[in-house]
Amino acid sequence: MEVNYDNQIVRWYVKSAILWGVVAMLIGIWIAFEMVFPVLNFNSPYLSFGRLRPIHTNGIIFGFTLSIVFATVFYAVPRLFKTPMWSPLLSRLQFWLYNLTIVLAAVTLALGYTQSKEYAELEWPLDILVVIWWVIFAVNFFMTMAKRQEKHIYVAVWFFIATIVTIAVLYIVNNIALPSGLLKSYSVYSGVTDANIQWWYGHNAVAFVLTTPILGMMYYYLPKHTNLPIFSHRLSILHFWSLIFIYIWAGPHHLLYSPVPEWAQTLGMVFSLALIAPSWGGMLNGFLTLSQAKEKVRTDATLKFMLVALTFYGMSTLEGPIMSIRAVNSLSHNTDWTIGHVHGGALGWVAGMAIAAIYYLVPRLWNAKLYSEKLAETHFWIATLGILLYYVSMWASGITEGLMWRAYDASGMLQYPNWIEIVQNLTPFRFVRAIGGTLFLTGFCIMIYNVYKTIQNKGSGFVPTDLREGA
Amino acid sequence: MENQKNFYEKLNEKVESKGFAFTVLVTVAILIGTLVELPPFFLTKQVEPIESVKPYNALELAGRDVYQKEGCFNCHTQMIRPFKWETDRFDPNKAYGPDPYSKAGEYVYDHPFLWGSKRTGPDLAHEASIRPSAAWHKKHLINPRETSPGSIMPAYPWLFENELDIEQTKANMRALRALGVPYTDEDIAAADKLLKGKTEGDAVIAYLLKLGRDTMVQEEE
Repeated sequence: MEVNYDNQIVRWYVKSAILWGVVAMLIGIWIAFEMVFPVLNFNSPYLSFGRLRPIHTNGIIFGFTLSIVFATVFYAVPRLFKTPMWSPLLSRLQFWLYNLTIVLAAVTLALGYTQSKEYAELEWPLDILVVIWWVIFAVNFFMTMAKRQEKHIYVAVWFFIATIVTIAVLYIVNNIALPSGLLKSYSVYSGVTDANIQWWYGHNAVAFVLTTPILGMMYYYLPKHTNLPIFSHRLSILHFWSLIFIYIWAGPHHLLYSPVPEWAQTLGMVFSLALIAPSWGGMLNGFLTLSQAKEKVRTDATLKFMLVALTFYGMSTLEGPIMSIRAVNSLSHNTDWTIGHVHGGALGWVAGMAIAAIYYLVPRLWNAKLYSEKLAETHFWIATLGILLYYVSMWASGITEGLMWRAYDASGMLQYPNWIEIVQNLTPFRFVRAIGGTLFLTGFCIMIYNVYKTIQNKGSGFVPTDLREGA
Repeated sequence: MENQKNFYEKLNEKVESKGFAFTVLVTVAILIGTLVELPPFFLTKQVEPIESVKPYNALELAGRDVYQKEGCFNCHTQMIRPFKWETDRFDPNKAYGPDPYSKAGEYVYDHPFLWGSKRTGPDLAHEASIRPSAAWHKKHLINPRETSPGSIMPAYPWLFENELDIEQTKANMRALRALGVPYTDEDIAAADKLLKGKTEGDAVIAYLLKLGRDTMVQEEE
């Protein structure tokens, strides 16, 4: 039976991913330069670091990442189920409500309306909007699943199921607040209770927005693009169930040495260490699949992005648990090291896989050969250089910072009692970081040009080619 | 490729074609950790109360709202860890007794908590003792580089132009009272007097001078 797939919605989401990607990265670069040249705050509330930073983080997580996740779900799930999405109308309703939310998020955050909980900054009316389109998404997804023609549920879909269920639980519990005005509310939780719930949420936003759906993307695009089966189904099963079970416990590693009770901190640390195994299970399954197409990696930018994504996934998921060890955390907590760690995951893993997805989807969605493999190759090297500059400079900055905070001189006094002296020491690292971010966005813009030129040739015909034989 | 299915494969096969059962199992898997880590905070006593800690008055609360609005928590933490290098730095006047790090009881009225996760600028949990001068804070907020050459903090001149919304602050206090903060009617009515003619800047300074004020050890005699 010929199934009529809805590609329009996927095209929309690819465009929305590109749009929010550029906006959020641009703001990220701007605030990175603000930390070097504070004059860039321009004495304006709307350009000040404190208001822009949440727009950057929300823009990347909920604008850029979720857009490409939705693009993948609306592309891959109907194909894996051999069934079109249950309701094209709900798909479209969700798309517009979702994008409306992102626009309103940017506007309200710029105006200073914020719940002040990281990645849960949006005020209550927007939270309600988020819940509405998430429910629309869930209904559409599960109805499609109920009506599916293909009985077997492929591993990529497992990760999407985990995402849909868990984000709903996390988002609602952490955002319960009592409104005292149209755009003002107070968390019903206070103090250590609020801290514990916030980082249960915050850490699992990383898990279920920035990890599980991206693994779902890997499990779809990697075998499709290489025409090879996933290396081990057994490993998929083991690492899927252990990953989602263990991740949810790890939140309190954000609260080590805080007044949050010791038992919670210890649980957070122990489960974070345990997370290495399922995380690396996913990475290995990806690597072992990729290694079957080794020679193709040399000539295929899409695969290169997947390779870098998997590499950074492996690095971040080893680094994270190490940073969760109390002794290491005493040095890394509150420093630029954390920022570097996050960006290893965000730029390397999430954006790496997202970019691979865009290069995979665009020629198929617009039925045209990618305009230039060479430009994609250029994009890859500029982006990789950008990530490395970012990662390494933030390691250097964070460790320098942490060591200076704790340094004592021979007489037993703090060696750097003057805070500004420490800040000034970090400026060169932070400058390099801003350059790294700029390079990454430069690569992204090259991709946009490539996508734009490809779309200009739409309908000219796309035939998947094995780049090993091509030029 | 693998003809012999192992234990896990056989187990998973039972749900691999059953969407509903699979989704239920996923839900169970993510709820176990959740149910271990969240409910004890509501069912058992996890916070040692500190009697001297009082709620923010109307002006201080208005200041806390400004602190949230401007996103100060993106660069300033409010949680001092129990390390000598932190307590030496953030209790320079030895105002907090023998163990001057942050305690759970200091935060009971904080909806939401504002510990932050990044210490680009110094910690502010005990700012009342570290920098008790309102005049210094005003100068610093208007232009951080005037008091602290080399600082990378944004300047906040507009705070001293924006007036406060008294009715909104009262509504905020009523909401917090509903959440368990022990505000009396007098506390809320005091907003009229405390906020009158005050700017956002005045309020944020009042808030900064409240941070850590209640737990300072009283000088004997």
